[in-house]
Amino acid sequence: MKRLSGWSRRKHATAYWMILPAVVAMLLVHYIPMLWGFYISAHDVNIFTMVNWINAPFVGFRNFIDGLNPATTTGARALRSLVNITVYSIVAIGAGYVIGLAVAILLNQNFRGRTLMRGLILLPYITPDSVAYNVWKFIFQSRIGLLNRYLIQWNLVSEPPIWLIGPPALWSVTIASIWKGWPFAALILLAALQKIPQELYEAARVDGATAWQQFTMITMPQLRTVSVMQILMSILWNFNAFNQFYIMLGRDPGIAAEVPSTLILREAFTNLKYGIGSALSIVLMLILLVITTVYLIALRGTAGAEEM
Amino acid sequence: MKGRKMRARSAKVIKQALIYLAVLLVALVVLMPYAWMVSGSFKETLELQSSDVTVEHLKPSWIPRNPTLRNYREVNQTVPMLRYFKNSIIISLGTMVACTVIALPAAYALSRFNFRGRGVYTVSVLATQMLPGILFLIPYYLIFTTITRHTGIPLRDTYGGMIFTYTSFALPFSIVMLRSYLNGIPLEIDEQAMIDGCTRLRALWTVIVPLATPGIAAVAIYAFIMAWNEVLFASVLTGRSTRTVAVGIMDYVTATGANWGGMMAACIVISIPVLILFTSMQRYIVEGLIAGATKG
Repeated sequence: MKRLSGWSRRKHATAYWMILPAVVAMLLVHYIPMLWGFYISAHDVNIFTMVNWINAPFVGFRNFIDGLNPATTTGARALRSLVNITVYSIVAIGAGYVIGLAVAILLNQNFRGRTLMRGLILLPYITPDSVAYNVWKFIFQSRIGLLNRYLIQWNLVSEPPIWLIGPPALWSVTIASIWKGWPFAALILLAALQKIPQELYEAARVDGATAWQQFTMITMPQLRTVSVMQILMSILWNFNAFNQFYIMLGRDPGIAAEVPSTLILREAFTNLKYGIGSALSIVLMLILLVITTVYLIALRGTAGAEEM
Repeated sequence: MKGRKMRARSAKVIKQALIYLAVLLVALVVLMPYAWMVSGSFKETLELQSSDVTVEHLKPSWIPRNPTLRNYREVNQTVPMLRYFKNSIIISLGTMVACTVIALPAAYALSRFNFRGRGVYTVSVLATQMLPGILFLIPYYLIFTTITRHTGIPLRDTYGGMIFTYTSFALPFSIVMLRSYLNGIPLEIDEQAMIDGCTRLRALWTVIVPLATPGIAAVAIYAFIMAWNEVLFASVLTGRSTRTVAVGIMDYVTATGANWGGMMAACIVISIPVLILFTSMQRYIVEGLIAGATKG
């Protein structure tokens, strides 16, 4: 007995040694900076105190209050950025999921060139963000852009709209993000579609179920787990979105297209108010935490009801 | 009887036609931006600058009027693209090697040992995935500057600092991906090797590594691509000497001048490494992504 536990202790020691480098790397880059982030958010770290930021004056929740106070420029922008990112996320996630599902079903049919198409749809996903969004920025140019060329050619507008400044900017970025985002949904959903046992459909056809009934009664329930995961990951990615806004709209996207990541980046590295920047990034993290928790609890509730 | 058969056949033909139509539409939507990128990269600066959607004969066209290779030949002229390219190669290769070397033992331990803290560790790996990058960036930047001031070791705008940063960011997903690959290799294989007198590490190196090569390659490529594409940290932590392509490419179009032709040519150049790597290992990466996303 004793020998056995000695064995397993040795085995475990090996496991800890093997995992140690990964733990250290993650502590240094994720967890320790996160703890300092909480520290910074409660201290007045700015251009004057940043040289010796560890000794910056303690200000409690001041940074949070200032950062979210609608009377200040930053506060007004912060609140607006939360609205913007929510609108953007809902549209991008919804459209991404619906298009992804439709294409997954399409690619699950029998047709010539199916393998080629399955590879082709991965292109937007693997293209670097900096390439894809710069090309979309080019497409959305007002005077030399491809989009306005067709809008004018087809007489949909008489004057070329300016897409990347003001309120339309948010929608331009959303469209580009959907283009880049749906292939991942399609990839995951297609893999799940291929795992659905064909007998289920055969049995349903014998019972005289229509194609729509087969879709709602077999396909959707079978895709449920994968869909929940896919949408959860999309929520996390989209609420943290930075690249598409930064690349297409620049450091300052304007209030109508401001999102938390761009605002925090500017607040910290342009205005050098690290305390407020940290406070706002913690707010963003907490909002994400609440959203994902509510999402998972709500879904667990419906899953329980279905089982009953 | 015959009529019903005919009707069923024509319904099938219509269905096939609709499928091909839909496939065509999807292909068009996917390929359109790439076609525009390629077309733009062969256009003369003059054509791009003078094009105007409101003037019939000046509206931007798919076919360049005077196709030119100048944008490619001069890709390095206004923007030091080759230097950015070199920086990206060094940082991405470094990240790839470091990430694989650290992720392999960690994933092996998670896959083979049932040690205390395994659950906590797995959760903490996944938790890092959901936190906003910007949350780490501010403290990270301040810690970098402080360490440099106290020890004199430069971290910001150095290859080492960037490789360290990206390695740690690529690690969580790499470990999850590799673990699910290793889970597919039967335990008996390690046991057999150890009965034959191998130590754990030797068994890992001589028996498991060759078997897990596809999984390891997928992780390596994931790490490379992640470092190649990263924008947020690169925009703050890189400077004159380490600027990467993902950030550097924005130099073509600034407030003072827009060289869209050069930018499109550069877009193609910096996509090539990613495309080659991805297509060479497509199957494994896709499997790994799906496993990471669904088994997570």
